[in-house]
Amino acid sequence: MTRRIVIPSVVAFLALVTLIFLLSPHNIRRVQAGFLETISPFLKGGSTVEKKYRGFKEGLKSIEQLEDENKRLLIANKEMSATNQTLRGLEAENNRLRKMLDYKERTEFKLLPARVISRDSSTWYTQITIDRGERDGITDDMPVLNEEGLVGKTTVVAPHSSIVVLIADETCGVAAHAEGSREQGIVRGERSHNGGAGVPTIGFNFLSKQANLKPGQNVFTSGTGGVFPPGILVGQIKDFKVGALDSYATIVPAVDLTTLEDVFVVVGHSK
Amino acid sequence: MIFFFVLLISMFLALIGQTFIGPLPMIGARVLLMPIIMFYGSLALPTPGMLALCFCGGLMWDALHTQIVDGNVEIAMGWSIMLYAVLGTLMSGFRPLFQRGRWEIHCLLSGVCTSVIVLVEYLMITFRREPVVFIFNKEIWWRIGGAGLIAMLLSPLFFFALNYLAFIVGYDPQPDRRHKRSR
Repeated sequence: MTRRIVIPSVVAFLALVTLIFLLSPHNIRRVQAGFLETISPFLKGGSTVEKKYRGFKEGLKSIEQLEDENKRLLIANKEMSATNQTLRGLEAENNRLRKMLDYKERTEFKLLPARVISRDSSTWYTQITIDRGERDGITDDMPVLNEEGLVGKTTVVAPHSSIVVLIADETCGVAAHAEGSREQGIVRGERSHNGGAGVPTIGFNFLSKQANLKPGQNVFTSGTGGVFPPGILVGQIKDFKVGALDSYATIVPAVDLTTLEDVFVVVGHSK
Repeated sequence: MIFFFVLLISMFLALIGQTFIGPLPMIGARVLLMPIIMFYGSLALPTPGMLALCFCGGLMWDALHTQIVDGNVEIAMGWSIMLYAVLGTLMSGFRPLFQRGRWEIHCLLSGVCTSVIVLVEYLMITFRREPVVFIFNKEIWWRIGGAGLIAMLLSPLFFFALNYLAFIVGYDPQPDRRHKRSR
């Protein structure tokens, strides 16, 4: 290969890389959103095939089994609808009473169901991709949860899909408090546990030395960070250690982050 | 030129495919398919093609994985492109041997380079995040080494398949082997 071709190609390469390095965070987000939008049809297709394969592997259910399951789900659905109605009534009453006491009204949220279409393939990040995006009203930093507890928050949002950084990732900090105590701290993923095999654990940092938390104690979001609403279950304390200046606990997430299939995005206030 | 696009499409599909493969049980290492194709491209294509492939591969990787935390970019977009180009150039140095029809060292090297990618990512994250603490326990080493080991095992398969694809599109990545045979 002659120098006439190699040298201009190296120069062009370096010029393009320099241009990429100079991109602002806003433009990086745009590039990421564009690429995510390009690959999302493939991810959705792959996810459908994966689901079908898993379903096939688990075996076909008999009609009797399906009928039983359907009956159980109908009953569960009715129970949940009834409970939901009662809770909505209680919430409205609670808000009214809080208003009377001049407290700030607690917000109500709309939950947008979403399907997990892929899991992150990188070694050091813990992310998932969901099949909902900007067109569904999703923006950056929206909380994501499921029926078991907190899952994470949205980061890159494309028109029809979004990337969700999970609570097991080191970059996802959540202000939280331990049940039955006034202890507040920050829940953050641990690098050596991210994306690896088995159940990931997450750290509960900046607790006071007097915290004295016990294994099995629940940890909920405190709502002070502004991203996550208060009262969402994050996980249970696994162990607790007192350090020189503060104390630290390890949490097992309430949600099994390795087998997520369906989640809900908290898209905003219903009022 | 056609083969360059074949490799580019293969890299794109590999990037999507590897998102459906979870971490390996016990060791937690990831199966990284895209770098294997990129390293093959570094051997099969001349320098401009190798650089273009590394550019596209790095850009795709960064587009999926660059993290913006509290409005700040954690690791600037473009680092993967530079890293891939450096490793691609290293692989390219072994191109004459590859052109003579040998793959063994290249398969081993693609595994080592895959581990280097994971290690450099880890170091960059460690330097960027506060506090700067280097955790090098067994789990971390397995993730770094395991990814390379898997790439090393898979690369002969990929090299064979891509050589076959090259044959289909009429590109000869190992011209010296044919000359040897014809002699």
